[in-house]
Amino acid sequence: MTTYQFLTTAWTWNSIVVALSAVASIGYFISFGQRGRPLYFVVAVVLFLLSFTSPVSALVNGYLFSAHMAQHIVLVLIVPALFLLSLPRSFSLGPPLTYLTHPLIGWVAGVGAMWLWHAPTLCNAAATSSVVSALQSASLLFMGSVFWWQVLAPREEQRLSPPAGIAYLFTACTACSVLGIIITFAPVSICPVYQHPVDRLGMLETIRGNWGLTIDRDQQIGGLLMWVPMCAIYLAAILAQLARWHSSPQLEQSNA
Amino acid sequence: MNGTTTMAMFRDAVLDPAKRAHYRLAWLSTVDHKRIAVLYLVTALVFFVIAGVEALFMRLQLAVPNNHLLHPDTFNALFTMHGTTMLFFVAMPALFGLVNYFLPLQIGARDMAFPRLNAFGFWCVPLGGILLHFSMLAGGAPAVGWFAYTPLSEMPYSSLPGTDYWAIALFVTGTGSISFAINTVATVISRRAPGMTMRRLPLFTWINFVNAFIILAALPVLNAALAMLLVDRQLAGRFFLPLGGGSPILWQHIFWAFGHPEVYILALPAFGIISEIIPVFSRKPIFGYEFVAASSVAIAVLSMGVWAHHMFTVGMGRTLDVFFAIASMLISIPTGVKVLNWTATMFGGRIHFKVPMLYAIAFLLQFLVAGLTGISHASVALDWQTKNSYFLVAHFHFVAVGAIVFAILGAIQYWFPKMSGRMLSESLGRWTFWLMVIGFNMTFIIQHFLGLLGMPRRVYTYPDLPHWGWMNMLSTIGVFFMSAASLILVWNILVSFFGGKAAGENPWKAWTLEWATSSPPPHENFIALPPIRSRRPLWDLANPDRPDPVVGENSDAVTLPDHNKVGILSFIFSEVGFFGVLILAYLYFYAHPQPGPSGKDLELSRTLVFSICLFASSFTFWRAEIALHLRRHRLMLAWLGLTVILGAVFLVGQVTEYWKLFQSGVEVGTNVFATGFFTLTGFHGLHVFIGLVVLSIFLWLAWRREVGAGYGTSSAFAAAGYYWHFVDVVWVFVLLTVYILPLFR
Repeated sequence: MTTYQFLTTAWTWNSIVVALSAVASIGYFISFGQRGRPLYFVVAVVLFLLSFTSPVSALVNGYLFSAHMAQHIVLVLIVPALFLLSLPRSFSLGPPLTYLTHPLIGWVAGVGAMWLWHAPTLCNAAATSSVVSALQSASLLFMGSVFWWQVLAPREEQRLSPPAGIAYLFTACTACSVLGIIITFAPVSICPVYQHPVDRLGMLETIRGNWGLTIDRDQQIGGLLMWVPMCAIYLAAILAQLARWHSSPQLEQSNA
Repeated sequence: MNGTTTMAMFRDAVLDPAKRAHYRLAWLSTVDHKRIAVLYLVTALVFFVIAGVEALFMRLQLAVPNNHLLHPDTFNALFTMHGTTMLFFVAMPALFGLVNYFLPLQIGARDMAFPRLNAFGFWCVPLGGILLHFSMLAGGAPAVGWFAYTPLSEMPYSSLPGTDYWAIALFVTGTGSISFAINTVATVISRRAPGMTMRRLPLFTWINFVNAFIILAALPVLNAALAMLLVDRQLAGRFFLPLGGGSPILWQHIFWAFGHPEVYILALPAFGIISEIIPVFSRKPIFGYEFVAASSVAIAVLSMGVWAHHMFTVGMGRTLDVFFAIASMLISIPTGVKVLNWTATMFGGRIHFKVPMLYAIAFLLQFLVAGLTGISHASVALDWQTKNSYFLVAHFHFVAVGAIVFAILGAIQYWFPKMSGRMLSESLGRWTFWLMVIGFNMTFIIQHFLGLLGMPRRVYTYPDLPHWGWMNMLSTIGVFFMSAASLILVWNILVSFFGGKAAGENPWKAWTLEWATSSPPPHENFIALPPIRSRRPLWDLANPDRPDPVVGENSDAVTLPDHNKVGILSFIFSEVGFFGVLILAYLYFYAHPQPGPSGKDLELSRTLVFSICLFASSFTFWRAEIALHLRRHRLMLAWLGLTVILGAVFLVGQVTEYWKLFQSGVEVGTNVFATGFFTLTGFHGLHVFIGLVVLSIFLWLAWRREVGAGYGTSSAFAAAGYYWHFVDVVWVFVLLTVYILPLFR
């Protein structure tokens, strides 16, 4: 299969994902209508759909560790962030969920989502069993939301103060970079499934030959994705914290 | 008792020469941030002369082709000493000195948060510098480059003690730098004057506050690398020796994980200086304060993740190269933002071309060149061609001299009046400036072309190829201009110090708080502070009819965080880096197993028992704190005593483990696992031991009822507790990586 054929045919109609997206969209517009920021929500849903129906998802299914990592980052960092941004200011959590809003829990959720699912056993299980994979995706979305709540909660008073937010994001960034470094330089496979892909689509030759993605290089790219571009996401969030800090009102001269 | 009488009593008791027997030693025993700052600056000047002479000799050797003025080994020693000295004993102390003097003044503080730690941090610099130079008497100076690449810097290839002196010297100054950074963080957080909120900090202070975090993150990484190198050299360890499974490339990774942030550790304070000078001499507030402030944070974060661009030529593979090329190019965005802010500040201002401003303008132009050649090195293909040539030498000297040294010189001209009470001569200052501009550019512009013509760096001489001779000669002539400039500067300082024009409080009509007190400031810094409502309190004072808009909320009543707590947390932040490197190195070698002993040979059950003792000691300490809080003295003594005992039991356990390993023939040098194991657990054990000493001191103080009971030591007690808990947390990670992980293999 050539690259062109792959990009045009490897789309999968994942009915559960589509149904979930539809339910979420209907739910969102019924509950909030235009009160939130629907654009963010739409982008989040589109990214969510793409990560399960596009050719990337075909690669995640047993072909490329790096594709898995890209999907992982989208699900844990980008989709939840966009979702929280789309919520209206008036939104607040019900009582049973409020214990999730402790910064420590948020931090552990964000960093844990990275580390936990890259234990070789769990990573393998997620790549081979669709049930575990679904569980993984759901947990990533959930843990990502818990993580981002600290800096992107709808109401200002629910968020960490900007300096605390910067420390929160910086330490999370460091903890994830360390994992990225380990994956990049690890001589053993983090997710052994990807070493012996079952070539369901007849793509393996294109991937290894035309794309030049050998097993080692694939894992290296995976690690580097977690190490470098992911840091850029945290950095963008840190800069947003600084912007928030400096944009709180400048008082006009009152005693002039 | 009001503040004035206290101060008067203080002055009588401490500052009156007659009542202070060791007055003549006052400069040696001082804990005043201003005096320590001057000591930093003088030390930097002394080492600047030494390292400058070293550079002069190198340029003389390179002035003509096929020269034999210096022996090749001497040349290697000279460039090692020149690089190491200029970075660690000139640029860092000079910048730290300026920060030490002006950061507390700019925030309206009386001193740094930890005056004695401040003195400690300073004295590490001369100690390190003397150790480094003492190597010349102890068998020869190090000749391994300031980067000391392994295996060249290992025993088999550099058997003389020079390299050991180099490593120990850097370890000592590195420790000093870390204590300086801890102090800076604690000072900014806990010692700000009422009204000086974090959002109103002058940019010099803000940038150096951010910079302190880079120091806290990067210097421990260097210290870990140095410790590993010393283990290799002194205890026959195998970290970086290919024979026995070590990895020379690992040294490069760790060294540049420090080395790249180090560039910004020097550059950011320079940015801070420029951000002060340009607005004052353009008579305009800085354009886009928020952007300058935020871009510093972006630079700080990015600087820590791009070290691998120093290693494109190592052969890391195309994948790594691509990611790091892109990340490196990203840094040009926040730096570019800053340059835009500075030029926009000048735009439409009434520019006063005084000497500090001249330096700032030269800084802008030369930093632009440095930045552009820097971006060119982010491109892998170009880097491969120019990395080992004089093009790179030219690039980093444009950063180190063209930007950083020019900023320091500008700062000296700008702040000397505040430090001495007298102006530096403007005309002599111009002589220095122009000779410096001419000399610097003559020396280094041509080196770009030399590099592109193919002249390799780090060579002691070169063949007589077309154009190389005159280009090198021109470069050498430039050095004499710079030397003349330096001599005039020293002359200017001496003459002006004794007979310069009186400066008054605020000779430049600047707006930050250091200009709101006499020159030089009194020991307690300020008699009274003006109200602080914006970023330019002195502008508001001088222009009550059109003050700056108030920045943020007034929070006069807010109590600032406890400095002991901030200090110990900063220290722990730095320790995370140190142990992080050791653990990652251990994991790296764990993944590449060698024949001989491995993690499976360790006795898990015994270690678990002793580990439980250590973890229990965290619990007992917590109980001791509660007892202290409840003022139950004997209960507190009991819990604290138990903590010390449990910690000691853990140490005994570790000693037994070492003893058994030695008995079975496992030593540091047996294989790379043993090296990693003993280094990691050994440094942890050392930390436990230090913790035990600290806790024992508290136990003794508590015995004498001096803890808590109104002596103000309870926050220090809490700080010791943070440290103790941290040491336990480190052990959790050591236990997991060293003892538990092999179970899954």
